[in-house]
Amino acid sequence: MECIITIEIGTGAIRIVACTMQGKMFGSLKGAYPTFHEKPDFSEQDPEQIFITLLYLLKNFLNDKIHPKNYKVVSICFSSAMHSVLPIDRNGAPIGNAIVWSDNRAKKESNDLKNSELGKSLYKETGTPIHPMSPLNKITWLKNNDKDRFQATKKFISLKSYIIQQLTGEYVIDYSVASATGMLNIHTLNWEADALKHSGIKTERLADLVSVFYSPKKIKKEYQKSLGLHDKVKIIVGSSDGCMATLGAGVWGDGKATVTLEESGAVRVIGKEVLQDEKQRIFNYLLTEGNYVSGGPTNNAGAVFEWYAKQFGDFKKAFDLEDCMENLINEAGKVAVGSDGLIFLPYLQGERAPIWNANARGVYFGLNIKHEQKHFVRATIEGILYAFYNIGKSLSEHRTYTSLSANGTFASYPFWTQMMADIFNKPVHIKQGSGSDSVAYGSFLLAATENGQYENLEEAAKTVKLPDSFLPHAQHHKVYMKHFEIFERLSVKLFDEFEAIAGLQQDAGN
Amino acid sequence: MNQYFLKKECKELHAFPHVLEFAFKKNNTIQFGSLRKETCKFLRFYYVVDGRFDWNIEEQHYILYPGDLAIILPGQCFGGEKDLLDIGTVSWIHLEQQELEQQGKLAIGNWSRLSDTECTTIGKMLLVSNCQVFPKLKDAGTILQTIHKEFINQEIGYVARINQLLDELIILVARQLTRHNNARRDFPQAFTKLEQTLRADLSHQWTVDEMAALVGLGITAFSEKVKGFTGFSPLNYLINIRISEALKLLKRIDVQITDIALDVGFYSSQHFATTFKKLTGYTPSEFRKKHVAPSDETA
Repeated sequence: MECIITIEIGTGAIRIVACTMQGKMFGSLKGAYPTFHEKPDFSEQDPEQIFITLLYLLKNFLNDKIHPKNYKVVSICFSSAMHSVLPIDRNGAPIGNAIVWSDNRAKKESNDLKNSELGKSLYKETGTPIHPMSPLNKITWLKNNDKDRFQATKKFISLKSYIIQQLTGEYVIDYSVASATGMLNIHTLNWEADALKHSGIKTERLADLVSVFYSPKKIKKEYQKSLGLHDKVKIIVGSSDGCMATLGAGVWGDGKATVTLEESGAVRVIGKEVLQDEKQRIFNYLLTEGNYVSGGPTNNAGAVFEWYAKQFGDFKKAFDLEDCMENLINEAGKVAVGSDGLIFLPYLQGERAPIWNANARGVYFGLNIKHEQKHFVRATIEGILYAFYNIGKSLSEHRTYTSLSANGTFASYPFWTQMMADIFNKPVHIKQGSGSDSVAYGSFLLAATENGQYENLEEAAKTVKLPDSFLPHAQHHKVYMKHFEIFERLSVKLFDEFEAIAGLQQDAGN
Repeated sequence: MNQYFLKKECKELHAFPHVLEFAFKKNNTIQFGSLRKETCKFLRFYYVVDGRFDWNIEEQHYILYPGDLAIILPGQCFGGEKDLLDIGTVSWIHLEQQELEQQGKLAIGNWSRLSDTECTTIGKMLLVSNCQVFPKLKDAGTILQTIHKEFINQEIGYVARINQLLDELIILVARQLTRHNNARRDFPQAFTKLEQTLRADLSHQWTVDEMAALVGLGITAFSEKVKGFTGFSPLNYLINIRISEALKLLKRIDVQITDIALDVGFYSSQHFATTFKKLTGYTPSEFRKKHVAPSDETA
């Protein structure tokens, strides 16, 4: 039997999933790697560890799940987190670790650019909001602050490009991941000259642009042999995790949006137009030519609830976070909608969309003497989801959507999904037992389209079935909206105070 | 019972060759030079019963209050901040102990019921944790008080009892060390710390016992947690780190392959080559040839 394998190089782990040619998943394997924070604003990963993790997992996966049953692998399709930058030298060896999306070292570079005319025009041309996350600002930071490394760098590539180069020898980057670098003109599909000039590099110092369907000519012989793969297996470059999660959730065109609820999160839509937002709140990433994934990311999704659980939850067993979180969610269920007037701003890690304020911080607002611990739990979850709604609201100024599909670890808690339906006042669809499956399924659809099974990705997206839906409760929606109004106002009103407190915290940190 | 002092030549200590000194001391006067900073070859525990003590351990200043326990490893320097013993009550014990070797094994002697592996693990933990003072460790006070009573009364079975209590003191400190290192809530954080410790000393032959102890879990629970969190067994995770460090070194032409093998923790270059080839399909030297020459097909 034939099969397709998808590999997601995620923020903290690689996930490998095997699907039949009909898209039925029949095996998966995960392996994690660390993120290093050498300084408070730094987030880095070791490219060699990621590569070794991939080899180890893939080899074991093939030997356990694929080869014994004589599955014939048609293609292996990659996806990865966006925004990573890995400098490599003239021999192709990494110079230090990769700088990943959550790295904030380029704050100054980003602020300077954002407030300039060039910044505004770059947002229009590249679709990527001006933010420390984008490789444009990271490379500029290297130019300004780490001159030796900048000079010694032959190419600035993404982690996925590095992995694919190790396996095949080709330096490539797909349009999708490239469109999140802040350096690709998403209208002309060429590297944006003004962006390259700003960061002080030329086209030769980036990987070659290719379609998401592109496959490098061959896998290196040694890896063919050690993995037991025949030379006809196609390595498909694929797209980003965000784009794949959107595709895998069956979102395409008007009417639907997707919400991803992992440690961080996002609300996204797919369409033919670039959403030009005057306030630069929305990203526009390229999926395939003429198709854009637009939306907004949040820093403060599951990570904030995990923070709450670790600080205030009851750990009956050492390190059993799941159990602790489930108990907290039960507690939250005992409190009325709106947490009796307790409102939480979840900006513990600053915030991206829609307020794009790295100085934003967490706030519990409206405390009175009758509030108990369970109110805090519920308010925390409500606050996290208000932030998603706030993104959704800015998206709906550009695009109408009538239903949501949810994916990610936290979408598998019915309490969260129901609350999301109530806050958005829209039905929320979820795949049964949905974990991070959407990314894998999106990658499968991409590979199957490449294989000629679907005419294009739009047709592929239409085949996604989402049986479980949560319907909104109109009465609850009304209550939530009254609280959300205050939430929304506080989020901008506290701008000066956020700046002041972030300043104090930075001083204390030094 | 205000003052009690046993030294090596005291007859009470004849049955305890491993106890060099035991004391319970109420100090009423300040005398210059009464606690000079000294480096010793043995293991020292000091417990504050009453008062406030300004101490210096390894050139770090500590202030200890009632209930606090200080532990000084062989080869470490300890004394009063001003070279004197402050007013108050303090209890201490000195145990014979060879200097912790590079591997960090605690060689406390035959009297202890702790196994060889456990001693290695505890020694390693003491070395890497760099923790000298345990605040509010009242249980340590209780143990020392009981030892004190046993010495005085010498009832039947007191030799065995005191040795048991010494074991208990060491176990208490070891367990406290893991509690001290993490709050047993945040596994990712505890694991990150562990990973830093492993990377800082990659050439050490880490065992699962040692890794589990550093996180403060039993071996079974630890292995399950690591598997769930990383997808790997603890030893396989360690091999991944070793190989990824090796990959980096292989790309630097100035390091010998044999040195790489030992540096990243393989016991021989043969062992390194086999593991490396199994994972990557290349032998280390083939890999180096393919990846270092600028004429590489990929360049």
